[in-house]
Amino acid sequence: MLGAVAALGTTALLATACGGSDASSSAPSAGGWTVPVSDPTATINVLSHLSLKNDKMQDVIDAFQKAHPTIKVNFETIPFDSLASTIDARVANKDGSPDVYWADQPRISALAARGEAEDLTSAFSQYKDTFAPTAYDAGVYQDKLWALPIANSTQLLYYNKDLLKKAGLPEPSASVDQRMTWEQLTTDAKKAKDAGAQYGFLFGQFDRYYQLEPLPVQLGGSPGASGDGNLTPDFSSDAWVKALTWYGSLFADGVAPKGVTSEQTDPAFLGGRAAYMVEGPWLLPQLKESKVDWGVAPQPVFEGGKPATPTGSWSLAMNPFSKQKEAAAIFIKWMAVDDGGGGYIKYLPAPELAASTEGKQVYFAKDVFSSPQGKDAATIIDFETSSTAVNRISTIGYIEFETIMNQMFADVRNGADPKSAIDASTAQLKTAWQKYQ
Amino acid sequence: MTTVQPDVAVAAPAAGGSRRQVGSRPMVTAVLTAVAVLVAVAFILPALWILVGSFRPTEDILSSMSPLTWQLFVPTEVTLDNYSRLLLDSGFSRALLNSAFVCIASVLIGLLVSAMAAYTLAVYRFPGRNIVFALVVISFMVPFEAIAIPLSQQFITWGLGNTLIGLILPGIGNGLAVFNLRQYFLGIPASYREAAMLDGASEPRILFGLYLRISGPALTNSAVLIFLGQWTAYLWPLLVISNTRLQLAPVALASTFGERSADYGQNFAGTVLLALVPAISMLVLQRFFGRLSLTSGEK
Amino acid sequence: MSVARTTADRPAPLRRRRAGRRQELFWGAVFLAPVLVSLVVLRIVPAVGAITSSLYKAFPGGIIPATYAGLANYRSLFADPGFNATIVRTIVFNLIINPAQILVALLVAVLLVQRIPLVGLWRTLMFVPVTIPIVGSCIAWGAALNPEGPVNAIISALGGDPQPFFTSPGQALASIMVIASWIGIGYWMLFLVSGLQAIPEELYDAAKIDRAGPVRTFLSITIPMLRRPLLFVLVADTVANFVLFVPVQLLTGGGPQSSTTLLMFEAYRTSFAYGSRNLGAAQVVLLTAIMLFFVLLQFRLLREEGESS
Repeated sequence: MLGAVAALGTTALLATACGGSDASSSAPSAGGWTVPVSDPTATINVLSHLSLKNDKMQDVIDAFQKAHPTIKVNFETIPFDSLASTIDARVANKDGSPDVYWADQPRISALAARGEAEDLTSAFSQYKDTFAPTAYDAGVYQDKLWALPIANSTQLLYYNKDLLKKAGLPEPSASVDQRMTWEQLTTDAKKAKDAGAQYGFLFGQFDRYYQLEPLPVQLGGSPGASGDGNLTPDFSSDAWVKALTWYGSLFADGVAPKGVTSEQTDPAFLGGRAAYMVEGPWLLPQLKESKVDWGVAPQPVFEGGKPATPTGSWSLAMNPFSKQKEAAAIFIKWMAVDDGGGGYIKYLPAPELAASTEGKQVYFAKDVFSSPQGKDAATIIDFETSSTAVNRISTIGYIEFETIMNQMFADVRNGADPKSAIDASTAQLKTAWQKYQ
Repeated sequence: MTTVQPDVAVAAPAAGGSRRQVGSRPMVTAVLTAVAVLVAVAFILPALWILVGSFRPTEDILSSMSPLTWQLFVPTEVTLDNYSRLLLDSGFSRALLNSAFVCIASVLIGLLVSAMAAYTLAVYRFPGRNIVFALVVISFMVPFEAIAIPLSQQFITWGLGNTLIGLILPGIGNGLAVFNLRQYFLGIPASYREAAMLDGASEPRILFGLYLRISGPALTNSAVLIFLGQWTAYLWPLLVISNTRLQLAPVALASTFGERSADYGQNFAGTVLLALVPAISMLVLQRFFGRLSLTSGEK
Repeated sequence: MSVARTTADRPAPLRRRRAGRRQELFWGAVFLAPVLVSLVVLRIVPAVGAITSSLYKAFPGGIIPATYAGLANYRSLFADPGFNATIVRTIVFNLIINPAQILVALLVAVLLVQRIPLVGLWRTLMFVPVTIPIVGSCIAWGAALNPEGPVNAIISALGGDPQPFFTSPGQALASIMVIASWIGIGYWMLFLVSGLQAIPEELYDAAKIDRAGPVRTFLSITIPMLRRPLLFVLVADTVANFVLFVPVQLLTGGGPQSSTTLLMFEAYRTSFAYGSRNLGAAQVVLLTAIMLFFVLLQFRLLREEGESS
């Protein structure tokens, strides 16, 4: 029985490895199209978790429409939590809709292996050098390019000056050479809490692999998997145990709250209820609007560890069944490359960290970076994205991996013993990954 | 309008409701009332919290949760901002209208279809009746989520993707409604039907003129079943609708939860709006089909 | 029990019967056709498809064609101790929540048909949770049962110790039950109230003449007369709770430590999050089979008179 599964897995991999998804399915073969010089007249369906109004994607689409008037964009918003499964189901309907979709970067390998993404190598690999290396690599699977990055991310340590002052604590340095240690942060956050802060420390996204992966990596651990195709669970090293033990102690000692969800952390810091918070640059515009007196520093590192920070964001991928591939390619190129670093970065009113070098300049020119703290943030962001960023693991089994990892972090947060949580999750992941072996 | 003798319809005891009492002493009434109030309050408090939250900024909802103060239920700042942003900016109002249309159409068609089947399964004896009934029961036990993906692929091949019909169809064959109506029809004395037949009434006339007329509560309950089933549908519209203008309200509501942050105020406002529509619709249904056991009081 | 008698119980005059028979068959076919067509096309055919699909294996996602694998999916499921624990957990969950919900709903229904002031208002209030979209109520309850949320604030104010609720493997499933019941009880109460109202007053008058106490009246009149709505409510509730998964998905993701991983959630996660449709189909088939077993059991226990099955 296992043999059959293995054989099947190999066929699937081989099929997708040699030229998109042509060998084993009815998907049209890759390479039958190019990015045309003149615009075709077409309507393309675009699927995203961003909304036209609340996220102001309308501005971006309007700008595209102006640049390419013959290509009409039908933009559809799907709730973030349902995006991945909706793409899965819609592409499998084989009616070619959506033509372009927002792809979560670590899921790109899986999308490619499943035959749900079009091979973009011949059309877009020439732009490789315009992107931050981690951002471009996130779209590569088995030496082919499957998605083009439109954004990037990193993490910063924000602090509330008033709450630190109340506890008599020094402000962390904004210099990347004088990074705080997690150990120090834990001690200080505890003091801040004792001095009256509701929360000592918050992660922007508790229990999420994106946020927590750099912890074991700082201690020399693996990103969580290794071996052929990164399909062997690899998170039982001492580095992982130590990182998880520290994570669990945050909650056991009351430095960080147990029940607060990732959706509640930003409002808590913006409401002046937390002393420290590690969160992405997307907090900057909101901080500008808030009444909080804040400062910013690089994300901490473990004592004796090597700095490592989260990175990665969204890419655009194409449906292999799309009937408008040329128009879709024009849209992807405009979003990620054109107009000096991508129309997405240029025309989205909320500042979003760019994946391209040119786009970064557009990004740093936005007015959230004009304040003294904004300038600090810009320096840190620039340094982290080029020097300390570690991508999430690239594996076709990423979805199972992330689900089980997030659950493991949550269990540790809720008081499970780190070692036994690791063992249980390793066993679970082995079972879940059986189908790929 | 109908050939059924008036006294039959009037005397139908199965449909008539009557209040009864366990004890007549005021003491007993007082105790029972107190229990009823306590239970009702326990059930309504969380809903009240959502209602209050929909009129306050998200930050106010979160910061008032703990420790316990009067602020939990009394906002420091009352605002209509959540509602105005939701209704004016996010396309939610259009989604609400779509949902309302899909639900009303599903209820009307679904009730007709279910009532006919329930009537047949309740009053006729024919070979295979139990098998058909078992089929109905089993069919509603198949988790819809499980078959939604292959079914949606079928619908798209049939050209029903991005159509309102594609949204309505899965709601009309409701095995639960058939089951519920049949259980009610079984309780209607056979003599009514025989009397009507002696008068020469045809089968459709007996069903629509007699059975449905005295089955107000069961019809309303079944309408509620179909309505709520469609009103809360989430996965199905996600799969068959790709045109944002046709999207339904629960999907639009879920969009208030983003990748990194949630807008609790807006979410609560959407929740209140989504709860209001079934409430109003039930009052309408009550007008339409007769007494709803929900609100019928003493008189 | 003359009220409960059906057409079938009472023979009609023979001559009329034969003519009626033909008419019945015609109208029976006409009346049944739409529901049968829709149930077969919209439910049974895809369900059979799910059974077939559970016998295949494919690479996750929906594009690459599957190959026949016999019972391999089932074998690998039963070889996984985690999955076996999920089945046991699902059954235990249902053995607790279904009787509990129906019992409370019945007690509330009996209470709310009594002659008490503003009874319609209390009933409406009980029903309000049903109208709230489950996504909204789960979010609200998630916040309410937060370790630092309002429920713990109330417990602390009353002098109790704060409870971990969703953050402890011991309380998470019970918390899910509370949320499901908050919605479910008002819903099933509605059906039981209409059932209670359909019981003829004369039966109670007769009981009063016999000087039967409230408990005996309840057991010898209310319960037997309520058998049909009870059967409906019990079956429908069982189905609803076997396929319950929104609170799990939104609030616990199956944790902590798998303590809230119920079969429907597991099947949903396998099919949608992991994209393993065939394995997910096998889980759904097992879920439906277990559910069917419990429903048949309930039909047997509350078997209807005059119903030859």
